[in-house]
Amino acid sequence: MKCYICAKEGRDSDAVAICIVCGMGLCMDHAIREENDVWEGGYPFPAHKVKQRLPRILCPECAIAMKGEK
Amino acid sequence: MASLMRRSVAELVGTMLLVYFGPGAAAMLLMIAARESGPLQSLTIGSLGGLADWLAIGLAFAIVITAVIYGLGRVSGAHINPAVTIALLASKRFPATDAVAYIVAQLVGALLGSYLFYLSAGMDAVTIGGLGATAPALGVTFWMAILAETIGTFVLMLIIMGVAVDERAPPGFAGLIIGLTVGGIITTIGGLTGSSLNPARSFGPAVGDLLLGGPDVMGVFPIYIIGPILGALIAVFFYDWVVKED
Repeated sequence: MKCYICAKEGRDSDAVAICIVCGMGLCMDHAIREENDVWEGGYPFPAHKVKQRLPRILCPECAIAMKGEK
Repeated sequence: MASLMRRSVAELVGTMLLVYFGPGAAAMLLMIAARESGPLQSLTIGSLGGLADWLAIGLAFAIVITAVIYGLGRVSGAHINPAVTIALLASKRFPATDAVAYIVAQLVGALLGSYLFYLSAGMDAVTIGGLGATAPALGVTFWMAILAETIGTFVLMLIIMGVAVDERAPPGFAGLIIGLTVGGIITTIGGLTGSSLNPARSFGPAVGDLLLGGPDVMGVFPIYIIGPILGALIAVFFYDWVVKED
């Protein structure tokens, strides 16, 4: 698979990841890796943050949309 | 996880809200009944609307419990009930040091809730409403009241185990189901014991009445310690036994 963004810009680069939201193939330059907190527990026990964080790969467009930025 | 201090404050606030709105509704009902019919000696909950009076009180409890569980459940676990904390401790699901802090916070919160209700509603809340304190109805003996409180709290703890503690329970429903369960229990056994199901819920109004000159209900307070704790303990061990796979 090729990087969608690079392909649109007329370049040809191999995809190394896929955006978890839109499924776009992404090269290293365009893949955004985020890490989310994971919580365990809850009523009737206090919730606690687990040490390991949950990684996710997003494309630039989805990363902006997920943060609600204009 | 939030620090023990923050979790204890969450328990304090949760129990304070429970006692302000739950027993507050019971006191309010007596105050309304007194306005309607004059301050009769025999005025009790049920004078105005029979079982509907208890349904109204039960709904007030149901709504505030649901709100507290969804609002603070992730912080402290929102036990807001020493019987629940003791049952989780006894079944090795909750640490002893945390349990002591939780119970102290719940009792202080309950007293604060009663005092805030008095400040909001005035002296009538104490003299007519008794701050919503619990006492057995006429003809209900000490042991009958303990039995009713034990059964009521058994149901409450059983539903907590089934809908929240059990990892197989569908997530998200605990607050609503537990709140409604308490409302249902109160509607049925409210007319027998006042349906405390919670030592802290009875502690706040009882001590508040003692300090502010309301009715003395300290003599029957042991009912609301023994019954709820016994019921919660039976439920937690019963649940662990009954769900065990052979």
